[in-house]
Amino acid sequence: MSSLQIRNVRKVWQGARGLTVEAIRDVSLEVSSGEFVAILGPSGCGKSTLLELCAGLEPVSGGAILIDSEKVAGPNPKAVMVFQEHSLFPWLNVESNVVFGLAMKKVRLNERWRRGREVLERVKLVKFAKHYPHQLSGGMKQRVAIARALVGSPEFILMDEPFAALDFQTRVLMQQFLLEVWAGFKSTILFVTHHIDEAVLLADRVVVMSAAPGRVLEEVKIDLPRPRSMTDPQFNAYRVRLTSHMEREVMRAAELE
Amino acid sequence: MARAAAAALIPWLILVALWELAAARGWMTTTLFPPPSSFIGFAIESDFRVGFGKEGMTIPVAIFASAFRVVAGLFLGFIAAVATGILVSMSRVASAAVLPIVRGLAPIAPIAWIPVGIIVFGIGNPTAVFVVFTGVYFILTLSTVAAVQSVDPRLVKTARTFGASRAQVWARVIFPAVLPQVFTMLRLNFFAAWMAVLAAEMVGLKNGVGMIVILGREMFNPNLIMLGICIIGITGYAVDALLLFVQRRILWWKAP
Repeated sequence: MSSLQIRNVRKVWQGARGLTVEAIRDVSLEVSSGEFVAILGPSGCGKSTLLELCAGLEPVSGGAILIDSEKVAGPNPKAVMVFQEHSLFPWLNVESNVVFGLAMKKVRLNERWRRGREVLERVKLVKFAKHYPHQLSGGMKQRVAIARALVGSPEFILMDEPFAALDFQTRVLMQQFLLEVWAGFKSTILFVTHHIDEAVLLADRVVVMSAAPGRVLEEVKIDLPRPRSMTDPQFNAYRVRLTSHMEREVMRAAELE
Repeated sequence: MARAAAAALIPWLILVALWELAAARGWMTTTLFPPPSSFIGFAIESDFRVGFGKEGMTIPVAIFASAFRVVAGLFLGFIAAVATGILVSMSRVASAAVLPIVRGLAPIAPIAWIPVGIIVFGIGNPTAVFVVFTGVYFILTLSTVAAVQSVDPRLVKTARTFGASRAQVWARVIFPAVLPQVFTMLRLNFFAAWMAVLAAEMVGLKNGVGMIVILGREMFNPNLIMLGICIIGITGYAVDALLLFVQRRILWWKAP
């Protein structure tokens, strides 16, 4: 049983000339195995920073992040990150992008290609294995990025607004795709977004963060059976509840600027 | 591809036709500006050989000599500059120590290095290659450093989240990411490098296509001068086409 614990985490960015910015203040959160947690907040609330801390890409300034009771001290194969568009390596084809992590760990070549092939089959991208990123649509690129995260069987997938750059139609399809992947691969997902509908549609639990410095304002359990529909009145009740929070925080963030 | 080449040829055909017309009608002095029919005829008549004795050479050999010099210099300059740029970018101390010097040497025209090359390497291919090399090396080193700084941080973060070590980030992400940008700079600096090779051939090396023009002047043979100028243009165009091919087919990717 794997777990991710964020304990009283604080992050301060050191800027030029001794300037400091407090991005996150005293955030605590627990994510357990198989859960789908969405982190919702206005732009600049430090939600992306929080993911980078979990991925071990940045050190925490205070508190601790534990994965399976072990302190995160650097990039960790148990928790990989998926970024917005443009994170595929443009000089590698789909297949080579997908097995990038295995190549970094110097996994044997035939094992590498076998696992790459397997994941591509499961996300229905085999036909595009030899394509290069610039030959793919935005939605396909993100499917490749997700496949690349899945190939190392991580326990946690940390997604930083992965669908923000996509058009509405593609985003709906990708949300569907992500739910299928999540059910199929049984990974735990921590998903950052500023879309309320996206959070309610996907997550078991929505964590609302405040404007800078980022703090956890509220945790809302989404108690709706899947597949969920955006036109369901109960869906709307969650939407209204989260919208009021978000509105207040967006206004506060605007005043801070 | 073929259509574009044909379209590029049409203005040239018109220019040559006008030139021939002007020569035939006596609108210009053909003794000073012989038309293509005259100097191409001259080349065929002299069996594609120019010069006498020690200075004699065949035209294909001259073309090959000049093209080899510029391509070898560009190739070595590109590799050395990418290596220097990346190594220097890895350390702040190295950047602070090396970059001011590179910045001071970059504006020196490649032609200015010709006497240095002749003194150090004597008269021969190494001098020509050296002149091209110095002509592109410093500017491409600066351009590599700039390209390293502009690599999308998301690519670096992605590599790190998949467990890439520091060395792997440099070799597997930053190195391929900067190549196309630096190669574009190489192509932009090709013309200056080509001119430097020709100048080196004219003042010291005594062979190659630059020498054809000088022979024409020494023997007061306008046919040879015009022939030399045309060969310089066509050879330069061909090498540029080769660079364009590398840019489009080999280092084709764009940084996101």
